[in-house]
Amino acid sequence: MASTQHVLLSPAELAYLHAALSLTPPIRPDGRAPAQFRPLIAETGILPGTNGSARICFADGTEAIVGVKAEVERTRLADGATAGTEWEEGGSARGEGEDDDGGDKAGDSDWVGLTVEIPGYRDDDAGTAFLGAMLSEALLADGAFARRLWINRRFHWKLYLDILLISPPLSYPLPLLSLTTHLALLATRLPLLKSEGDEDPFFDDDWAAARHLYPRGSGSSRTTKESARPPVTLLVMAVGNNIIFDPAKEELAVADVALAVSVAEDTAVATSTAATMDLDDAAVPAARSLRLLSIRTIDPPSRLTPPGVPNAANSAYGATTAQNQPEARTAEAEAVEGVWRAPRGGAKPLVMAALVQKVLEKGGVADEVLDALDAVDLG
Amino acid sequence: MSDRRRINGPVGATIPPASEDGASREVAGSRGGRSRPPNAIRKMYLKTGVTPSASGSAYLEIETSGRSGVSGLKLSCTVHGPRSLPRSSPFSPHIILSTHVKYAPFATRQRRGYLRDPSERDLGTHLEAALRGAIIADRWPKSGVDIIVSIIEGDQDRETSKTQGDESWDLMNALSGCITVASAALADAGIDCIDTVAGGVAALVSDKGDGNPSIVIDPIPSEHDRILAACCIAYLPTRDEVTNLWFKGDLPASDAELYTKLVEKGIQASAKANRVLVECLGETVG
Repeated sequence: MASTQHVLLSPAELAYLHAALSLTPPIRPDGRAPAQFRPLIAETGILPGTNGSARICFADGTEAIVGVKAEVERTRLADGATAGTEWEEGGSARGEGEDDDGGDKAGDSDWVGLTVEIPGYRDDDAGTAFLGAMLSEALLADGAFARRLWINRRFHWKLYLDILLISPPLSYPLPLLSLTTHLALLATRLPLLKSEGDEDPFFDDDWAAARHLYPRGSGSSRTTKESARPPVTLLVMAVGNNIIFDPAKEELAVADVALAVSVAEDTAVATSTAATMDLDDAAVPAARSLRLLSIRTIDPPSRLTPPGVPNAANSAYGATTAQNQPEARTAEAEAVEGVWRAPRGGAKPLVMAALVQKVLEKGGVADEVLDALDAVDLG
Repeated sequence: MSDRRRINGPVGATIPPASEDGASREVAGSRGGRSRPPNAIRKMYLKTGVTPSASGSAYLEIETSGRSGVSGLKLSCTVHGPRSLPRSSPFSPHIILSTHVKYAPFATRQRRGYLRDPSERDLGTHLEAALRGAIIADRWPKSGVDIIVSIIEGDQDRETSKTQGDESWDLMNALSGCITVASAALADAGIDCIDTVAGGVAALVSDKGDGNPSIVIDPIPSEHDRILAACCIAYLPTRDEVTNLWFKGDLPASDAELYTKLVEKGIQASAKANRVLVECLGETVG
């Protein structure tokens, strides 16, 4: 599994790392601040054969590309028949109560296909399935995303997201894959629909007229109910009393608890403020409010690290008990300062709540990441 | 990859027609409301030592709701090990857990194949995270243990002929059951744990009658009009620690209170399941 891959660090190194990260402020191996992300290079529109694509390269050398492809698919009615066969009666029965942007435009989670490919791991590996489930869960959580793929009552777009990590997984790739997916979806464009109503869809063949899946720009083109940005998933961990964002592999190896938190921008508020505060553009990002979409506990690899042996129990330092009494080896050794022991048990509910709170707070990391991704040129 | 070893049923299978007895349904409301108080879990039956050939095993059954056609959850878990790792595998200072969660092909409305699909693998990863926190792993270096949970019957309403997107919420209920039953089977196998871990689910639901969403524990998706958010928690009561937290839904971040309450209720549900678990283990010993 990707998060629990073997970390080649000795118990002494682990103890040192843990101690350094527990200081206030924590000292991270790469000198970052606790809430600082790794520097990254991002670009979009790199794959000409896709509806939208993006590439992100982190400073530690991990790199991911995401391609989004869309296909038109016939919508299956809930009773299993295709929409075309029983169209006449079904259409007239539901036509009366039709509401333009109401529940009739309901999407289905089957309309999105998401695959994750990590080199060195089988595609049916549990860790890969976990990553894929986490990313699609965040995407589909608010139910608004599938609604964007609605064409008419008989047809919808089927969106295939192919997420490829093209470097070896040097660190847990979740934040990288999530940010890349976010950018690719922002850059995704779908051809402009020319047909009307429920007839067979017919599209404008001018790619320049294609519309973004997530419309950009000022409030006029945005619809109020749907969030204007795809979600981002952030990896956050706690060591001692410190909360650390975007941990590298070595940092994750000493984590007490690690969480993946998915957030999205809530635009119901953002658009209304944008309308009232046209004059002051800078006020808009401050008014951004976030929505919490999903949280998952990541099994930290620290539980699989080898324990250190304190001098008192080490026969090389004159301890004899371990040799004479085999019972003593299984007995619980007291925790010794500076000797690494893999953490046992879970995390206090309060610690977990603090981690989530830190992600969601106003002007926090989630805001910063969304602002930074805003600056990427979508071509 | 398709399964080539067995003769599978047709791919495009149809759902058997279900006649809707309109009169009785209309009275009870279209989906049938919740019959329990909001902070009560369903009754459950737990028994350890049901599979003689395994080193530990347990069976969990959760009460069906009052309506016909709605089945309760039925889970069986076997634990094989601890046993030595194969010679080819590298040294491990800890016990190596491998968890498998599999729905029986007939467990849900939509037939499942024999091979595990991504959602089942995902459940297995969640279960592994929940159990790894509870097991004292460094007492068994160089060994492995297999934990296999089969979901014999899923927690689904078979009468509703249309799919309402309930399946994703069903996974949470299934996971909480998996955690409880696996914990009982681990204890039956005599594998040292720091505490018994049990799963609990809490959900923020909105019903048609009253506009305000409310928090209930152990929700049945078919009993509620809409589920806004849900969380599944694996909790160690004596240490007051959470080994696995899975939250899904859509909550405004400004209302942190709501999230905290949801987690609190999840812990409460888990503590209730734990009482059943401890009682069952006490019976076996006594």
